[in-house]
Amino acid sequence: MRVLFGLAAGLLLLLAAQPLMPAYRSSRDVLAPPGRGHLLGTNDIGQDVLTGLLHATPNTVLMALAAAAVATATALIIAGVAAAASATIRNMILRLVDAVQVVPSILVLLFLGTLMQPGLAGLALLLGLTSWHEDVRVALAMLRRELQRENVRFARHMGASRTYCLRRHVMPAIRPALAALYIQNIRQVTLRAAGLAFLGLTDPRLLTWGGMMQDAMDYLYTPAWLWLLLPPALALTSFLLIMLLLTENDPAEARA
Amino acid sequence: MHILRTVLLVLATMLASPALAQGDRPLVITDTRGDRGMLAPYVHARNGIAYLYTSYVFDSLIAQNAKGELVPGLAESWTLSENGLTADLRLNPKASWHDGQPVTAQDAAFTFSYMAQNPYPFASIGNIDRAEAISDHHLRLTLKKRDAGLFSGLLLALPVLPRHIYSSQTDPGHFASPAAATGSGPYRLVEYDKAQGRYALKANPDYYRGKPLFDALMIVTMSDDAALQALNNGEVDVISYLPPERAGDAKAAGRQVVAARSGHVVKIGFNHEEMFADADMRQALAYALDRQAILDITSARGEAALADTGYFQSGSPWRENVADPAYAHDPGHAADLLEKQGLTRGASEKWQRDGVPVTLRLLADGAQARVAQVVTDQLEAFGFTVDLRLMEQAALQAVPTGGDYDLLISSTSTTGDPSDIANRVTGQSWNADRYHGDGRLDAILKEAGQSATPDERLTHLHEFQRLYARELPSLMLLDPVMATAHNDRVDLSFMPDGALIGIPTTIDKSAFVTE
Repeated sequence: MRVLFGLAAGLLLLLAAQPLMPAYRSSRDVLAPPGRGHLLGTNDIGQDVLTGLLHATPNTVLMALAAAAVATATALIIAGVAAAASATIRNMILRLVDAVQVVPSILVLLFLGTLMQPGLAGLALLLGLTSWHEDVRVALAMLRRELQRENVRFARHMGASRTYCLRRHVMPAIRPALAALYIQNIRQVTLRAAGLAFLGLTDPRLLTWGGMMQDAMDYLYTPAWLWLLLPPALALTSFLLIMLLLTENDPAEARA
Repeated sequence: MHILRTVLLVLATMLASPALAQGDRPLVITDTRGDRGMLAPYVHARNGIAYLYTSYVFDSLIAQNAKGELVPGLAESWTLSENGLTADLRLNPKASWHDGQPVTAQDAAFTFSYMAQNPYPFASIGNIDRAEAISDHHLRLTLKKRDAGLFSGLLLALPVLPRHIYSSQTDPGHFASPAAATGSGPYRLVEYDKAQGRYALKANPDYYRGKPLFDALMIVTMSDDAALQALNNGEVDVISYLPPERAGDAKAAGRQVVAARSGHVVKIGFNHEEMFADADMRQALAYALDRQAILDITSARGEAALADTGYFQSGSPWRENVADPAYAHDPGHAADLLEKQGLTRGASEKWQRDGVPVTLRLLADGAQARVAQVVTDQLEAFGFTVDLRLMEQAALQAVPTGGDYDLLISSTSTTGDPSDIANRVTGQSWNADRYHGDGRLDAILKEAGQSATPDERLTHLHEFQRLYARELPSLMLLDPVMATAHNDRVDLSFMPDGALIGIPTTIDKSAFVTE
């Protein structure tokens, strides 16, 4: 957990330092390969790829972490309510989730996006609030399985409170699965954010790795994909790997 | 496992089988976009290419040769009365519909009355007072006002409909049976596959202007990469629109590539109801931008040329051959103009009005994302704060005149008969200029439309060109280059001002008809 906070603090610092970084401006050096002037080359309007990566890192990572957290938390809360409720209410909640799932989230995003014109934080919230529904069923199944286990039933029988059981027995048991859901959400949110910029919902200059990858797609038939697609793709992959390692070796879990 | 192996074997044999012999193969043309709709006037998709394909099937009264000059179509000859209000056309007696019935003046007269009832977006007949068939082959048109673009605009664009088929149709927008595509043109539509976006056309053996060049045409949908591969393998003959930067790939394989400026310009439109109501403001913006740099950055591989600022683009027959004001990059002059308009430079060189920083709301068609980014960079470097939004065309269409924007980057056509220019300048469509100003441009265009002679018309259009470059209803940025790749079976070229209604294309029907 401490490592996570450290990561977030470092990213905030990078975000704060953004005005000090070289500007991400177009230039006549179009599609220049990596070299002395541009360590990672330039893109189709002469913007330096390395500068772009630096600008995109805090945006992408913070937005993904926040949006995925919102999505996973919302899913968990709704699953929790459903698990605690009677069968009728649980069915109602699940039908409601089905209904949300049927509405394409891109429509919701389009609607909300035109109303609010979100910035970075708004975008994270929007993305989070439109991706939770896929996790509800998974979270509900996990919760119900854990709640029906003998240790929980025994603890309840011995007079333990619901919160105690949740904290002591249920949460530790479902944490690895939740972490997996969280990682999955991070990946989805990152790629969805790239599409939103194209729909005109955000300032297209709000740089993200996903956006850089999307821009690179036009150059797959030229050698330029090497320095346009690989850097953001590698950044995204290593970010997801780091997240995976962090959540798997969670010190809190090791203590428990 | 055994079955799988058999299937794979069969597939491999199918892939390896040699292409059909050259002689009985249709001329295959590729299109990157899919379905263009059924090839009949009221049911084809509402874009230039769909209209162009439909023109293979439906002839107009007047046609064009490969150079873009007017030549006889269904009308063998035509005359205009002294006062310019009565046109007499002699129809070609050899012309027949694809079902064998003769084409008569009654069909042509019927087309005008039918289109008055059921408007056709590519031909506006509001100025036709009366269309009557004097005899089977003599059509007389009476106009409400003089129209200098009658022959080169309306009569070239208007497809003549078969009366015996359309007279019973009250809702042509839903008339898409094969009979709807009964035309009098050089090719007959024999197969239309909506799902695949594929059209098969066969030559009309009784065509009144002589046997068409090819026995069959086929239009297929393919991506650029697949089309290039297929052209190089000899499976297709024409890639109608090849991105100019891919021309090298086709040339390397020994194919021919023709390219020309399209006249479909990328421009910055202004919100004339707000900050940019004044011509000085628009000129200031023009000087603040470095159009040459925009071109160099976004068109590093020759995808476009620097656009002319006086509406008509280089190569247009309507253009006066003088250099338009270039608005070469001059930040100092731009600053002077802005200061005259009451703007000041505040801290960190940012432009302000009454102490409030000026934010320019810039909308752009998603297809122009790169241009929009470079323009944004330049405006920010000049001291404006820019709120940039890329939008889909559908969303841009919903942005009203005087809406929530200052600048709008879009692309628009400047080609075709000038009778359409008024729509593109004063019209309300999202990529029109939406400009009225003091009404002078309107007045000039009206005079041009009512000119008695072509020379008089040109004089007015040249005046329009000069005033447009000064008033800047829109600032023209780039004139994209269009390219066609083809093999030796055809000889293709771009018409100087676009085909028919001004479509920049090499596959106009004049290329497939013997002259």
